[in-house]
This record gives sequence, C-alpha cells and structure tokens, in this order.
Amino acid sequence: MRQILLLGNPGTKRTVYLEAGAREAGVALRLLDWKTWQKDRRQMAGDGAAAGIFLKIDPPLWDSCRLDELDILVRGYEEELEVLASLEGEQKLTFLNHPEAIICLLDKRGCKRCLQSRGIPVTETLLESVSHSEQLLEAMEREQMSQVFLKPVRGSGAAGAAAFRYQRKTGQMVLYTCSMEDPDTGRLVNTKRLRRFTDRKQILSLVRRLTALDCLAERWYPKAEHKGYSYDLRAVVQDGQVDFLLSRLSRGPLTNLHLNNHPLSARELGLPSRIWEETEELCRTAAGCFRGLRSTGMDILLEKGSLRPRVIEMNGQGDLIYQDIYDENKIYRHQAEMMKEWLYGKT
Amino acid sequence: MGNTKKYAYDYDDYDAGKGPSTMVEEILADPEFPQVTELVIGSWGSACEDDCQEILDGIIANKERFAHVDSLFIGDMDYEECEVSWILQGNYSALWAAMPQLKELTIKGSMDLELGEICHENLESLAIICGGLPVSVIRSIQKAKLPCLKKLVLYIGIDNYGFDGDADTIRTFLEESDFPKLEYLGIEDSEIQDELAEVVLNSKYMSRIHTLDLANGTLTDRGGQLLLEKIPMYPNIRVLDLHYHYMSDEMGEKLKALPARVDVSDPNEQEEYDGEIWMNAMLTE
Repeated sequence: MRQILLLGNPGTKRTVYLEAGAREAGVALRLLDWKTWQKDRRQMAGDGAAAGIFLKIDPPLWDSCRLDELDILVRGYEEELEVLASLEGEQKLTFLNHPEAIICLLDKRGCKRCLQSRGIPVTETLLESVSHSEQLLEAMEREQMSQVFLKPVRGSGAAGAAAFRYQRKTGQMVLYTCSMEDPDTGRLVNTKRLRRFTDRKQILSLVRRLTALDCLAERWYPKAEHKGYSYDLRAVVQDGQVDFLLSRLSRGPLTNLHLNNHPLSARELGLPSRIWEETEELCRTAAGCFRGLRSTGMDILLEKGSLRPRVIEMNGQGDLIYQDIYDENKIYRHQAEMMKEWLYGKT
Repeated sequence: MGNTKKYAYDYDDYDAGKGPSTMVEEILADPEFPQVTELVIGSWGSACEDDCQEILDGIIANKERFAHVDSLFIGDMDYEECEVSWILQGNYSALWAAMPQLKELTIKGSMDLELGEICHENLESLAIICGGLPVSVIRSIQKAKLPCLKKLVLYIGIDNYGFDGDADTIRTFLEESDFPKLEYLGIEDSEIQDELAEVVLNSKYMSRIHTLDLANGTLTDRGGQLLLEKIPMYPNIRVLDLHYHYMSDEMGEKLKALPARVDVSDPNEQEEYDGEIWMNAMLTE
C-alpha cells in the first residue's frame, strides 16, 4: 500500500495542522518522529517500500540559542538530508520537497546565486563571504554602500543577522542585532530582542564575532512603509501558486515573525495592483528555479518609494504561518491535496 | 486639504549621481509641482553624507517659483534610510524672508541645523523632529517673532544626539518665548520627560493651549501624577497626547478619566540591567 509520511515532531504546530488538513482531505498521514525515525524507517520499509512512499520533511527541533552551535546543527541537519536523498535509490520515494532542494535553500549564498543566474531580482550581495570587519568597511567604502545586512549563510530567521550602518565621513557606526555576547561565557547568543549599538569598539567586536560564523553582506535597502511601520512580505508558494502573502510590519530594521513583529494581511496594504501582480509573478518564478521544490516560503522586499520587489531569501521549510493555521489552514490543506493527488491521481 | 507631493531619492538615484544639488532642479521640472501646496522633501540620497543646504539655497534662489507652497517638510525619512541623528540639516536663516507665505514648517534631523533669526508673519506650525535638539536651536526659537504660531512641536532628545541643555533650558524657553496664538504645545521625545512635564505644567502657555503633547518620552507615573493634579485646573486643555510612555496601566486609566481626549497608547516597560533602570525616548533607540 502506498504511504504518506511526515518526518517531523509530534505535537508541534507544523504536525498538528498538517494532520488536520490531511484528515479533512481523507488522507492517512503517518508521522515519523525525528528522534526515532531511523529505527521506524526500517519497520515501515517492508510494507510501504514496494508500493511507494510520499515523504514530507519538516525541520528537526533545535533549542540552542548559541549561534556557533546553530551552525553545527544546520550542518548536521544537511547530512541527514543527504541520507534521506540517498534513500531515493533504495525505495520508491516521492518527496514534497526533495532533500537536495531543502539543502540548497539552507545555503543563502547558493540560493541567491541560483536566483541571480536566472535573472530574478534579489537583494544585492556586497560580499559573498565576510572574513573580517576591515574587509567589510573597505567594501562598503568602495561600493559607496553606507548600510548593509550581515547574515550567517546558514542562519534561519533573524538568528545572527545584523543591520549595520557606517558613515564614512565621520566614522560613526550603528549596528542593530538580536545577537549578543553572553556576559558569562563570551559566546554569541541569539535573543528575541533587537538591540542598537553605537559604540565603535563594541560594534567592531560584534562584527568580528558574527563574521566568524561565515556571513555574507548584502545591501540594506530601505523597506516600504505602512502607517509608520516598515514592512516586508512573506510569501508561501506551492505548486506554482501563491497560497499566502503576509506583510510583516516592524519598527526596527530586522523584520521577522519570531521577533513579535506585527503581521498584517498583505491585502490590507492597499498596494497598487501592478505591484501586487509583479510580486506574485516574482514569487512564482523564484519558486520555479529549484528542482524538486513544491512548497517554499520566501521573504520579499518592496523598496521604499518604487515598491520594486526583490527576493531576500527562500526557505524550503517555510510553510508555517500562524495567520493561516489559525484561520483557513490553506497552506497545509493544499499540501494534503497534493498528497491526495499522489495517492489517487487528479480527481 | 492641500495638494501634497514628496520628492525623494533612493539608492538607484544616489548611484546615478543624484543628490542635494539636483533636487530643486528636479522639483521645478516636475509639471505637477505648480499645483503642489504641501512640499515634502525626503531623503536627498546621501542624507548621512551631505547636508541639505543646496536644497535650501535652491528654494531661496527660486523663491517666486515656490510661492504656492504653504507647507514644507525637509528630511522626511525613517531609520530605514538614515539614522535620524545622522541627518545633516542646514541653515534656514534666509528661508524665513524667502517664503513669507509659509504656514507650516517641519524639519527632521538636528545635526548642523541652524535657524538663525526667525521672523515670520504667517507661520502657524513649526515642528522639529530629532534625536537631540541643540540649545542654539532652542534659543533661536525662543527669540523668534512668530505672531501667528499656533502649533509648536519640539523633540528634545538626548545629549548623545545633540541636546546640550536641561530642564532649565526648557523652563527659560517657555518663559522667554512669546507665541500669543499658541494652541498646541509639544515638548516630547525626552529622557527627562517627567521633569519637562513639570516645567510645561508651570508655564504660561497652560492657560492658552488646547492640546498638550508630552508624547514619545520617558513619562512615568511621576509625571502622570502631576498631570492628574494640574490638568483639571485648565479646562481649555481638550487633548492630552501622551503616547509612547512608561506609565502603569492604572495611571493610564486614571488619566483617561480626565475631562480631555487622552492618548496613552504605546506603553513601554522599563528594563533593569546591572541594577540600573533603563528607559529610552522613542527617537533615541
């Protein structure tokens, strides 16, 4: 018998709401727990392998807030994804998102390169790899770029990201980040609060610590504004369709749903229809650039003034949107429909 | 409602070589400009690197072609474009005579800001939004001849960003200045907001204004208590704007019961770090 499996974590919102969608669609969904999946996999191989398996992979749960550990965790996760990808040869496996597509999107540098090579507008990269703060300052000066974002190549969300501004004439600096040095251990930790630093010495020390995590630097574009808040957009695209578009309003330069920013349905922004269409088209095209990617979440920047959309980053597991699960649960219902289609063909 | 239009440069404009020297020329070349009565100038592309003097000089040199503008905002940009405390302003001394029709002037940023001798028959509203207001600017406004001024909003800010005065500076300012038609007084965005509340509540303007604005600062229950005691003495106060504050919910409720429209939205919580209490005014962090 054909089987539909979710490799995930019991009781989490991702699991509960996909299960709800599956129930509604009349699809039997079996959960494989990340903690025990290797063992369970062998058990299930017997009955499901011959007929075929449809697998959705959710991210494992990480509870570390230490940024150096997060990097190691992501690397470990990539290895597990490679193992999953290799199973394709042994079993009749269909993935919602192919593990290689997930790996590809875990690497912000590679993701941007791929999008750029297809002519998709992205936020411009200043340095693909920042090795030290002097190099960063030189590059900013050379390119006349007075403000940049620093992002760990393997980070997720705002973890380890920083907005950095440098006034060449006066040497003044400002850095916004949620990361800080733990006063006890001296290690870099991620917090849920955005802080603003203005002391040059303190900033350069933080930049040094952040760049040690393998960071890229990209241009900090002024974001569009709505009623005194700046915002960017979070889109979820599945099977070539924009299933959800949410704006994330904030009063600081780092917009992220984990930072308790204020979400607002993108429809309420009152964007001109031309911008709306352009943005949706961009989302669909960007999602189509990666083989084996059927569901993706992406962050879109609308430039202040022109409202030109650009892709900030993409995520192969960016399908959890609270505003959707507590409302229509459209995203997971659509996934359940995809599963149903795999089981019974198009109805 | 006037006809508003904002002119601003983004990154691409800046990359293409546009800046304060090209802004006035572009405004004048815009066929819509003759209908614009409310002129808003946003980022001039390099607001952290170049001051806006060339824009001011351009307006002054072409004053006849700006004669239909009765509201002017210079520096309308947010933290996405430039730190407010980094915006390089300019010298406004010659603007007063060049734009006698002006009714409203809003300036954002206080670095390199000079207002000179202010003498203007028609100005009704003056607002300075900044992270720290220099005493030199406060003194200019203190001596200003603005017989029609109805609304005055001053962001006081902090010493790091240019405020080099104290509560006495504001006390003297309120004593010495003379705005016979003042209706709206805003002394906001301060880290000594409680002290300033006291100073304002003891000023001569209290019996004249209908709106008191002490928003965006570190107003605590101490300042709230003063307001509770004093506001009932001034039935002329119809609006009390205290949004962004550090008062308790209980104090907010008590204030809302005052016979005025009271805004206590956007409450903030004090932070304790190393045994010290930390509070920030809105435009300083």
